[in-house]
Amino acid sequence: MFIKHSVKYATLALAMLGAATSASASDADDFPSKPIQFLVAAGAGGGTDNFARVVRPMFEEAIGGARITVVNLPAASGALAHQRTATSAADGHTLDFASTTLVTSLAAGQNPVGLDQLTPVARMQSDVMALFVNPERFPDFESFVKYAEENPGKVTVGGTHTASPDHVAFLSLRDASGLDMNFIPYDSTGNATANVLGGNIDATTTSLSPLLSYIEAGQMMPILVFSDERLEDYPDVPTTVENDWDLTDGNDRAIFVHADTPAPIMKRLEDAFKDVYDSEEYQSYAERVNLDYRAGWMGSDEYRQRLENNYELYSRLLQND
Amino acid sequence: MLEHFLGGLAVVMQPLNLLLLTSAVFIGFIGGALPGISGVILVVILLPVTYGMEPTTAFMVLTAIYGATVFSGLITAILYRAPGTPEAVMTAFDGYPMTQRGEAGKALGIGVLSSAIGGLVGTVALIIFTPMLAKMALKFSSPEYFALAVLGLTVVASLGGRLIFGLIGAALGLFIATIGIDPLTGTSRFTFGNLNLAEGVGLIPVIVGLFAVSEVMKRTLDHKSHQPLKKVKVKIFDLPILRQIGMTLSRSSIIGVVIGILPGIGASTAAMVSYSETVRWSKHPEKFGKGAPEGIAAPESANNAAAMGALVPLFALGIPGSGTTAVILGAFIMHGLQPGPMFMLTSSDLIYAVFAGLFIVNFMILLFSKPFIMLFTKLLNVPYSALGPIIIMCCIVGTYSVRNSMFDVWLMLGFGVLGYLLEKINFPLVSIILGLVLGPIAESELRRALSMSQGDFSIFIERPISATLLSIAFVLLAVTLITPLIKRARRKAIT
Repeated sequence: MFIKHSVKYATLALAMLGAATSASASDADDFPSKPIQFLVAAGAGGGTDNFARVVRPMFEEAIGGARITVVNLPAASGALAHQRTATSAADGHTLDFASTTLVTSLAAGQNPVGLDQLTPVARMQSDVMALFVNPERFPDFESFVKYAEENPGKVTVGGTHTASPDHVAFLSLRDASGLDMNFIPYDSTGNATANVLGGNIDATTTSLSPLLSYIEAGQMMPILVFSDERLEDYPDVPTTVENDWDLTDGNDRAIFVHADTPAPIMKRLEDAFKDVYDSEEYQSYAERVNLDYRAGWMGSDEYRQRLENNYELYSRLLQND
Repeated sequence: MLEHFLGGLAVVMQPLNLLLLTSAVFIGFIGGALPGISGVILVVILLPVTYGMEPTTAFMVLTAIYGATVFSGLITAILYRAPGTPEAVMTAFDGYPMTQRGEAGKALGIGVLSSAIGGLVGTVALIIFTPMLAKMALKFSSPEYFALAVLGLTVVASLGGRLIFGLIGAALGLFIATIGIDPLTGTSRFTFGNLNLAEGVGLIPVIVGLFAVSEVMKRTLDHKSHQPLKKVKVKIFDLPILRQIGMTLSRSSIIGVVIGILPGIGASTAAMVSYSETVRWSKHPEKFGKGAPEGIAAPESANNAAAMGALVPLFALGIPGSGTTAVILGAFIMHGLQPGPMFMLTSSDLIYAVFAGLFIVNFMILLFSKPFIMLFTKLLNVPYSALGPIIIMCCIVGTYSVRNSMFDVWLMLGFGVLGYLLEKINFPLVSIILGLVLGPIAESELRRALSMSQGDFSIFIERPISATLLSIAFVLLAVTLITPLIKRARRKAIT
C-alpha cells in the first residue's frame, strides 16, 4: 500500500517534471506567446529611447513576428522600469532597455533593483568615454595634468547629474590619477558642453559621439580616452590604459530581463538581438549615430561579468567621494 | 542671408511642403490644446513618420509642430483654465477671468495676436542673429542663471493680494521643487523611499491639478451659476486693445527671445519672467490676475518668442535650450545630421528652409487659429455637468501620458483639492508656480556657481551680468516694498 503510494507519487512527480521541462522548451518555441513590452528606462527622445525605437521593427522581424509596445519610464533614473521588469512574469515578454545608469544608480543606492533581480540579455552599444577640453586652453593631456597639479582644487570638470556615467568616469579618473579636481553636475550633456565652450569650466567627462561636431569644428578636443586601444580617428589621443590605469569605461546601452527567465528563452532573445546587431540596417544606424567606434556587442554572460565588476568599482568610488 | 532666406522660402512654397506644413500646424494645435500632450510627446510620436521624408521637409514639419503647440496651449487655458501646455500656465491667470466676464473672444484674440507677434519676433531674431547670439549665450553660466531666477522670484512682492500669502505660496513652490533625488549630490529628499517621488514632482501634475481640476471642482461643488456663452467672437486685430498692449508686447517679446536663447531654461520660465516684469512695470498691478489684457499679452508673446529663441543655440551650437529642442536634436542625429558649430555652414539650405517654414507657421497661426478656436468655444455651450467630467478625463489621460505614471495622476488630483481649498481663501496660486519653476533653477545654479568658485560668494559680484541682474532685483524689491510705506506716511501727513 505504502509502496504503491510512493510509486504513484514518484510517477506523478516525474510526469510533472516532464511537463515542466517540455513546457519551458515549448515556451521558447512559441515565444513570444503574447505581446512584448519594451520598457525604456529613460525619457522619450534620448539616446536610449532612440535605440529602443530603432531596434523595435528589426527585433520584430528577427523574432519572427510579435506585437511590441514601447513604454518610457524615465522616473528615478529608470528605477521604475527596472522595478517593473523585476516584478513582471519571468517569461521574457518584458524587456528593459537601459544604459550604464542602471549600474551607476545601483551603486549610488538610488535604484533598489539589483543584478540579482535583473540580468542582461546583451549589450548592443558602448560609447567611448573621454575627457574633453577646449583645445585653446589645453592642447593635450600633459598640459591639463600640469595645470591641475599646479592648481590643486581649482580644476572644474562638468558632466551630467551625480552618479551618472559621466560622474563615475570622472571619479575613476580622479582616483587613478590622484589629481585634485572638482565635479560640477549639470542637467544635461548640452549644459555641461555649453559651459566648457563658454570657458566657465575646464573640462567635461562624457561619451564621444554627442560631441563629434564640436571636435570637427575644433572647439572641443578629447585629450584622454577611457579605452585600452587608441581610437582610429584620434591616433594622437592617449588612452587611460597607456597611463597604466586599469580603466576602460563607456556609456553602454543594453537589454535586461527578469533574472529568473528560463535559459531557452534567454537564448532565443540573445540570438534575436544578435541577428539584429549583425544586420546591415542596424549597422548603418550605428554608423549614423556615431556609435561604431568600438564593437558594441557583448553577450549575456560576458556582459553580466563586466557589470558585476563595474558595480564593485563604482560602489567604491561613490562611497569615497 | 536674405538670399538664403528667399531660397528657403521657395522650398517651403512647394505644394507638398506647404501641405505638410499645414497639417503639422493642425497636429500641433490639437496637441497643444490638450492638457498633458506637449510638444515633446508629439515630436517623439511623429519622428518615425518623418523617416521617409527628405530631412529638410522632416525638420520643417517637426519645428512647425513645435511652434504650433506652444501657441495652442492658450486656448484651453483661457476657456477652461486648463493650460494645454506648461508654457501657457501664466496665460490662465488673466485669460480665464476674462472668459468668466464674458470676454472670451477678446481674450483669445489677444492671445492669438500676442503669440504670432512673439513668434515672429523670435523667428526674425533666429534668422538674423543666430551665430552672434549663440556666442553671447555661452557667457551665461550658473551665477547668471541664479541671478535671473532671483530676479523672477522677487516679483512675489509686487503681485496683488496679501503679501504673506504670496510668500507662503512661493515657499511652498520652492519646497515642492526640492522633492526627489538631489541632482547635485544624489541624496534623496522627502521621497520617503517612494520611487515615484525620486524623480521629483512634475510640473504638469501640479499645474493641471491646481488650475484645471480645482476649477472643475469649484464650479461643480459650489453650484456657481454658469451662463452658457451663446456666441464667442474672436477678434484678432483690435486697434484700441493693440494700443493698450503694444508696450507689453514689445517688452515681453524681447524678454522671451533673450531667455529662450539661454541654453539652460525654456519658454515656461520666459512666460513667467515677462509676466512678472509686466506686473512690476504696470501702473495698475492690482488688476493682474483679474483679467488684465496685458496679463495675456505678456506670457503669450514671451513664450512663443522663447520657443523660437530656443532654436538659436540648437542650430548654432547643437545645444538644446529646452525639452522639445532636445528631442529635435535627437531627431537630427537620427536623420544622420550633426547639429553643432559647423551645422550652419554644412546644412545652411536646410536651416534656412526651416527658418522660412517657421516664419510661415506664425502667419498660419494667425490665419487658421480662428476656425480651430471656434471648435473649442462651441464646447462652452455644452452644459458644465457634461463638460466638467470631460475636462477631468482629459486631465487624467494627459497627466498619465507624460511619464506613464498613475502616481502622477493621484498627485494631480491631490493638487486639485489643494487648489480648490486655497482659492477659498483667495490664495494667489501663481506664487506656488513661481516657486516651483524658478526654485530648482535658483537652488541648483547657486550650488553650481559656488562649486565653480570653491565656495566663494564673490563670484556673483565679480561676473558683470550676474552682478547687474542681482542689483536690478535688489533695487526693484526695495522700491516695491518701500513705496507703499512712503504712500502711507504721506497719507498720514496729509490727514
